[in-house]
Amino acid sequence: MDNSIQTLEAAAQMLMAPPNLVSSEQRHQAESVFMEFRSTKNPYQLCREILEKSSSDYVLFEAAGLLKTALIREWSLLTESDISSLREYLLNYLMRKETPPFLREKLLQTIAIIIKRGSIDDGGRERKALLGELEKIILSSPIGQQKLACSLILAIMQEYAITVKSADVGLIWEIHFRLKKSFEAMDLKRIFRFTVGVLEQIVRSGHRPEGEQALLTKQLLTIVETVLCWGQVSPLLPKRLIGVFEAVYESDTAPALRLSLNWRDTILQPEVIALFFDIHMYVRSNPDLANPSLTCLVQLASLSGIVVSDANLKKQYLENYVNSFLNMMSNIQPFDREMLGISDIYRRLIQFFSPSMVAALPPAFLQNLTSLTCHCIRGSVMEEVANDDTVWRESLNKFLHTWSSLVHDTEGYSTEALQNPCIEVFNTYLQSRLAPPDGTRGTENSEASCDDIKDDIEEDERKQHSNVLLTIGAVARKAPAHCCHVLFTLLQDRSKRLESQLQLMHMGKLPVSGGEQLVSLFEDLHWILMITGHFIAIDCTEGETVMIPPEIIHYSLVENCNIDASLKYLVGESTSTENVDPIIKILGEILRVSAWECAAQEAGLSSVFSPELILGEILRVSAWECAALEAGLSSVFSPELSATMSWLLKIWANSYLMLQPNLYSEMSAVLECAWGRQSMGVAWGVSRLVARAGSCLRHLSAQPAAATQAMQLLTTLASIQCKQNPIASCEEFLALVAWEAAGSNLPGEQRKELHRAFAIAATYAEGDVRNRLIQGTVALKEKLMNIINMDSDTEPVRNMLADTLDCFIGVTEGVHEVGTMDEQLAILLSVLQCVPRIVYRYHNYSGVVLPALALLAKNAKRMLHSTLHTNKTEYLEVCNTTFEVYVRWNSGKISSIPQDAEEEAYEDICALMEVICSIARCGVDAQAGGSCATGVRLVLPLITTQLLALPRLAHIAYRMLRDLVAADQITNLPIEDFNMVVNALRVGLTAVSCDVSTLCCDTIVGLSTKARTLGDDNPYAISLLTLAELLLMLIIKMEIPPDSIPAAGAAIYALTCVKPALLEGLARQLIEAFAVNDPANVPRLEEAFGILTNGVLFDGLRPHKIRFQDNFDKFLASVHGFLIVK
Amino acid sequence: MGDIEDTHFETGDSGASATFPMQCSALRKNGFVMLKGRPCKIVEMSTSKTGKHGHAKVHLVGIDIFNGKKYEDICPSTHNMDVPHVKREDYQLTDISDDGYLTLMADNGDLREDLKYPDGDLGSQLRSDFDAGKELLCTVLKSCGEECVIAVKANTALDK
Repeated sequence: MDNSIQTLEAAAQMLMAPPNLVSSEQRHQAESVFMEFRSTKNPYQLCREILEKSSSDYVLFEAAGLLKTALIREWSLLTESDISSLREYLLNYLMRKETPPFLREKLLQTIAIIIKRGSIDDGGRERKALLGELEKIILSSPIGQQKLACSLILAIMQEYAITVKSADVGLIWEIHFRLKKSFEAMDLKRIFRFTVGVLEQIVRSGHRPEGEQALLTKQLLTIVETVLCWGQVSPLLPKRLIGVFEAVYESDTAPALRLSLNWRDTILQPEVIALFFDIHMYVRSNPDLANPSLTCLVQLASLSGIVVSDANLKKQYLENYVNSFLNMMSNIQPFDREMLGISDIYRRLIQFFSPSMVAALPPAFLQNLTSLTCHCIRGSVMEEVANDDTVWRESLNKFLHTWSSLVHDTEGYSTEALQNPCIEVFNTYLQSRLAPPDGTRGTENSEASCDDIKDDIEEDERKQHSNVLLTIGAVARKAPAHCCHVLFTLLQDRSKRLESQLQLMHMGKLPVSGGEQLVSLFEDLHWILMITGHFIAIDCTEGETVMIPPEIIHYSLVENCNIDASLKYLVGESTSTENVDPIIKILGEILRVSAWECAAQEAGLSSVFSPELILGEILRVSAWECAALEAGLSSVFSPELSATMSWLLKIWANSYLMLQPNLYSEMSAVLECAWGRQSMGVAWGVSRLVARAGSCLRHLSAQPAAATQAMQLLTTLASIQCKQNPIASCEEFLALVAWEAAGSNLPGEQRKELHRAFAIAATYAEGDVRNRLIQGTVALKEKLMNIINMDSDTEPVRNMLADTLDCFIGVTEGVHEVGTMDEQLAILLSVLQCVPRIVYRYHNYSGVVLPALALLAKNAKRMLHSTLHTNKTEYLEVCNTTFEVYVRWNSGKISSIPQDAEEEAYEDICALMEVICSIARCGVDAQAGGSCATGVRLVLPLITTQLLALPRLAHIAYRMLRDLVAADQITNLPIEDFNMVVNALRVGLTAVSCDVSTLCCDTIVGLSTKARTLGDDNPYAISLLTLAELLLMLIIKMEIPPDSIPAAGAAIYALTCVKPALLEGLARQLIEAFAVNDPANVPRLEEAFGILTNGVLFDGLRPHKIRFQDNFDKFLASVHGFLIVK
Repeated sequence: MGDIEDTHFETGDSGASATFPMQCSALRKNGFVMLKGRPCKIVEMSTSKTGKHGHAKVHLVGIDIFNGKKYEDICPSTHNMDVPHVKREDYQLTDISDDGYLTLMADNGDLREDLKYPDGDLGSQLRSDFDAGKELLCTVLKSCGEECVIAVKANTALDK
């Protein structure tokens, strides 16, 4: 035995030696020594020897690891006395020896596993005894042993806490779960009470927590924290949900504290709650200790479950808690690092206690929340500038979460009670975003810096802040009079300042570069607009009917302003704000800034202005002055501000324009007169906004954010679905159509979106207007025809072709499935008919082939679901020809492709497969099925094993196979092609990617169902069944990704259904192989296979499928239990 | 190595410039652009700006279409970049000379013998297929005065 220890130590030395001292062969040899060591059978005596005698850390670590795995592997072969002597030995060993942490943790885990495993049979008797021993140690032994005892308690809790992904693979999940529940019922509360008692003594002793004492306190706190964060899962949930629950548990958000009835005597004691606040006060200056103690407080704020099913008890608890909490808050100045915990306490209290209970709390509760939120707003803005941490922003998010509940709960605080706090929060946020003197924004802010910032990777500015602003907007709407007034005054002031700045610049009194002052003005406006936007409207995703916030309507009703005065102010006929509706006042001011901006852009490039713009002075500049400005004004305006302006108008238009009064319980007459469906204001508003979008597209097309928002504004306007939508007849819109037809020079992506907007608008247009819109598409088609009929084949021509094809993708997306669209479909079909020709002529240019194929794929749904049968037939014909042409040029082609570019190089194959998938997904009849089969037969030979190594391509390829199986097409292939599919599945199963192996398993299930009807001697079935052995081996050796395991089980079942003798045969083969190499495990393997097929009929019906899945889980637990060599 | 003057190399056949200008914002991924004087295929495009209220700049990453080297460049989105004319033409392979030159026949029957046998796997595949008597079609990539064979396939398209 000493010999083997020496061998191991020598090998360890070899492994740890620096690379220049040992050869790689020596290293390999040393590795193999340990590989062999890890599979040693019955290693307990050897491990004890090592633990006693060896001084090599590496060997000690390996020995501890081996002990653990051997125990799991050989549990059923060991006697009770072996096990308990081992456990006693290990505990004794740890008590008497100073061990390094890595070794200690491993050994503690081993003891914990013994306890958990043992409790299956003894019902927790040993555990109870051990806990008693540990308690004694903690109360009376030297501090080193106390710490060790705490660690062991923690290790035991850890072992019981997780069930679904437990490291202890020897048990099936049901047993893990049962053990957890019994531990929870028997010992959790005991551990809690004991530990809290010890902590109380420590706190009452009055000594500062320092040195060893602090470490012990931390461990005790961690134990209590673990109890309070314990995942108390209902046993009624299915395993999958519990898995999700535990995944959340492992992340940093602990589940709520849900306790059962027997906790009532402990947790509802006012002294217990008070004690936790005392503990926090006692440890808060030490960050290590403050963290767990604050987590305890957060958890206690989420008390729920049967323990507080009685509303009075719950109310009592809340009052106790909040009293202690407010008491603490009045005595401390919170550290920055405490903010996250404190914000979490507020969030949880609001979340877990009813609004009326919260509203009945002392006023200090709300006051405290308000001042902390304001504090946090200031902190988070400063943090943004410094950009080093996110604690403030995370805390602010939690506070705002709380506010969001407060302002939306109708049963909680009254509007009056919330008014002042809301104003305070709103003001603070606004100030934090504005430059002095109105605000406190730091001058060091990034807006003025000249460093390159922000890649596309970072989120769009408006999205990045949308979460915070949504709530700030909701908070502001609780005090609409105040906020309206403030926002209007600010807008008015900034727009005047902007006006004078631009004038000064124009007169040459300011440098055209603008300087810091102008940038600061932009930043102010940017924030004012963002806040205003979230105040007057709700930023919602496309497709939903967005309503005007009720508070806004109510406020407009209350103000009851003069309709005439309001409308005159809005269109600029009057400048008097007297008796003007406050919302209209704000919008009028916004449109004024928007007009300024557009004018500044136009000024740069042309001397002709539309007279409506409120830009008298600049409009009158002479032509040569304009030319001088060209480099100036259009380039001086901020694209970011332009984007924000378009964004605001977009979300405003989405809910206000063409509003439907019958959707609202109350509606203000002024708003309805201004923007209701029948009103004059709608046409005026739409034309203003289209003009704005057009101007931005013309002049800011090279600024991605500005152009994207302008385009979204346009699309939003076109998408307002009602007959009265005036967009199609709006001259500005038709001017855009004409501009694009004449060659707009927009970047490809924007042209595509523009055509999408045109197509959407055409859906609702009628008569002459519709014709004018459709002419735009006709012109596009003519352009395409011209290009493909051209003799010259140059790079610019190909670019134009690709752009034009992209535009048709836009048209396709825009052609809605409602309304009459036959004309547009006819145009699209004639374009599609050019695709084979394009693929033929440009086969060497993927830049052209890709959009052509994408267009084809995009149209599958439109054409196959078309009411005209000819559309469908002709579309499928086009597809068939395209497949043939593509393959003619690409089969057997070998290219020199640099490694980096591989993914791109095969994008055309992906695009081709997308076409096939799109057809398969549209519900397949014989005709479409024929096309799919043709496509897949032609494309399969192109997909080599090497190509399947590319993740994106593999994903699409296997998804295509699955879709085709679902469409019943694979078994229609000739047998040679079917064999290719089976081969591809073989490759896919061994791929390490989870989605690919799941797709393969799903495909196998589908194919098996079909093969069953053919009989097991059919060549298709025979070919398919060859996969079974591979699949089973992959499962047993755990070489399939864990998340694909359920799918793999289903595949095994489905395959066995094709040929019921299959599984038995495979089992026999496997057992025979084991009989040669590992005879000791043969009986266990036999037993495992017995479990697998126990009571299962391979009839493919649901009850047996489910039973097989259950058996399969048990089978895996048992097989992996004794085969693991992890 | 590519030289800067390649950018304005006059091609023999058309007399036109080897490149043409295009606004940076209109470039597209998978398209072509000249980076550091070399014709490249764009594999990555991202934008950044100078300060929050500044104007966009485009950051381009491209792969040299001839040698696979990676290049990058940054340019204001309103400025023009040079885009190379790129051609890919198919020729029938009729012979391989002893000194490593290919004899290629264009669609119109013209012969050319000025292209070298390609390196690497592509070259060995071409050689073995040719020796096996297969009819081969070579795709020749041409841009900025440079030319080389980039792909080869057994000629099934000709029977059309």
